[in-house]
Amino acid sequence: MKNSSVIEGNLKFLSIGDIMQLLGSNGSSGILRIYSLYMSEPGIVYFENGNPVNASDGTLAGLDGLYALFGWTEGTFEFSEERASVEKVINRSRMGIILDSLKMLDDGDIVRLGPTPSDQEGKKEKTDESGNPRVNGPMVDYMYVVDEEDFYDGETISEEGKHGNWIWVILEGVIEILKETPKGPLSILQISNGSFVGSLSSFLVKDHTRSATARSLGNVQLGVLDSQRLSQEYAKMSADFRAMIMSIDKRMKQLSNRAVEYHTQSINIESFIKDKQKVMRQGETGKKLFRIQQGHVHIVQQEKDRYLPLVSLSKDDYFGDFPFFDMGHEPENASVLASKDLKIVSMDAGVFQQEYDNISLTFKNIIENVATCVSATTRMIQKMQK
Amino acid sequence: MAIFNLKKREIECKVVYYGPGRGGKTTNLEYIFKTFRKQITGEMVSINTEGDRTLFFDFLPMGLGKIKGCEIKVQLYTVPGQVQYSSTRKLVLRGVDGIVFVADSLEVRREKNMLSLKDLQANLKEYGLNIFKVPLVLQYNKRDLGEQGIPLMSIEQMDQDLNRQLKVPSFPGSALKGDGVGVALKECTKLTLKSLQRELKWAQ
Repeated sequence: MKNSSVIEGNLKFLSIGDIMQLLGSNGSSGILRIYSLYMSEPGIVYFENGNPVNASDGTLAGLDGLYALFGWTEGTFEFSEERASVEKVINRSRMGIILDSLKMLDDGDIVRLGPTPSDQEGKKEKTDESGNPRVNGPMVDYMYVVDEEDFYDGETISEEGKHGNWIWVILEGVIEILKETPKGPLSILQISNGSFVGSLSSFLVKDHTRSATARSLGNVQLGVLDSQRLSQEYAKMSADFRAMIMSIDKRMKQLSNRAVEYHTQSINIESFIKDKQKVMRQGETGKKLFRIQQGHVHIVQQEKDRYLPLVSLSKDDYFGDFPFFDMGHEPENASVLASKDLKIVSMDAGVFQQEYDNISLTFKNIIENVATCVSATTRMIQKMQK
Repeated sequence: MAIFNLKKREIECKVVYYGPGRGGKTTNLEYIFKTFRKQITGEMVSINTEGDRTLFFDFLPMGLGKIKGCEIKVQLYTVPGQVQYSSTRKLVLRGVDGIVFVADSLEVRREKNMLSLKDLQANLKEYGLNIFKVPLVLQYNKRDLGEQGIPLMSIEQMDQDLNRQLKVPSFPGSALKGDGVGVALKECTKLTLKSLQRELKWAQ
């Protein structure tokens, strides 16, 4: 039979619905055979002038057989132009059959052959070849995207130390965040789809200077966020909430600077611990959220008897148990060491939670994304010190 | 991309009605099917998908002339909005040439409209299409309900919500009464053919 085949291919590329449309608009007559690894016999559909007239999936015949064939989503097909003397038992219109079958397939009324296809590749945090973390962001809210920009492999999107007020969201692709060091550029982390490029302060502070370099790994499509809309929304938030957002942003910046210090071994760990008082112990639970009024604290991770200073916070910064995201810092995974003149106020986490619930999806995404990047960078530092 | 049927000397292009569930996509197509009976070849295929119906039929647009001596045939589809119907959506959206986005004017559906448009963008992207480039028109449906005192969004607000970035033609409409149905389809087929002709020139 093979020799009379006029078209053949893979069902992955052209599904049976597509093939039927193609044969239909071509007005072809002949036999379509479908081979699946999961069936011993091929499925058969007979066509006359582009319309299916009979079919079989090995057990069922006629229209029911044809419906069942839509469940054969893996395999190969071939169509041969040959006269077949079969009874015309299918009278429904071609498009009707296709649309109906696909509906039944999606409803689960048609059995999909083979092992259940796994969901699209993992959306969680992955690592690249060098073991550095890669952060995937949440679903993009396109309502905030005002423009799209394309970058080719290796292009610099924003450069450390240069001015820039844009904030982008990655629509597709991977971006590497780098910091300049005397020992050459240091890769802090990789971010991909849904992650944001540019910190929150970039659209709030005039003449903002970029704190890191962003470079595309492979081709990248970015969406430019509506900074006017974001800053309007930001202006409507309460002062406390704004201060908290800025404080998280500060953590991210400090953490990448700290990564450079660890990398160049220019950090004096002793200076962070000396004369400090532990106000929150790593692993403690049931802690509250605090705002600093005076003095400063260091967030320090402890591993056995080794200290790993992460960030230093001062007036108007927040520390403690943040209600709606996890940065992998205090109180579970880090201690808080305070200067002697520390003065703090306890904040009501419930009020923050309420305000958080009411902000736009994009702002939530940005905050969540910064928190994830903080936690990924923290793990990178941990790894560097091992 | 449209299909060139060399045997029949026809160009088949695909126009899809997209929008939030119960927004009036089906009513649009039913009105077209009823009103332009002479321009319709074949039957209307109607599939009951959960919460929504999927419709399909062929339509011969009038007064658009021929491209390279080929008749133009438009396949009109609605697509089920529900997430689970991904196979149907894939078949319908693959190779789509033009889109009529039917938005619901009811105030309470504001978010549904925006989500659906976002969803359209994501879906198109999956098939390698860009919402800013594909021929697209918006229809703000159910304007007639305002007369009954049901709170509607203003046209300006809907433009602000949905069309600020896209800047495509938009039409107020009432699919039930047939207002704004013909113009939206006509504008969409016009844009579709224009874009096809552009593609053809490139190919030469």
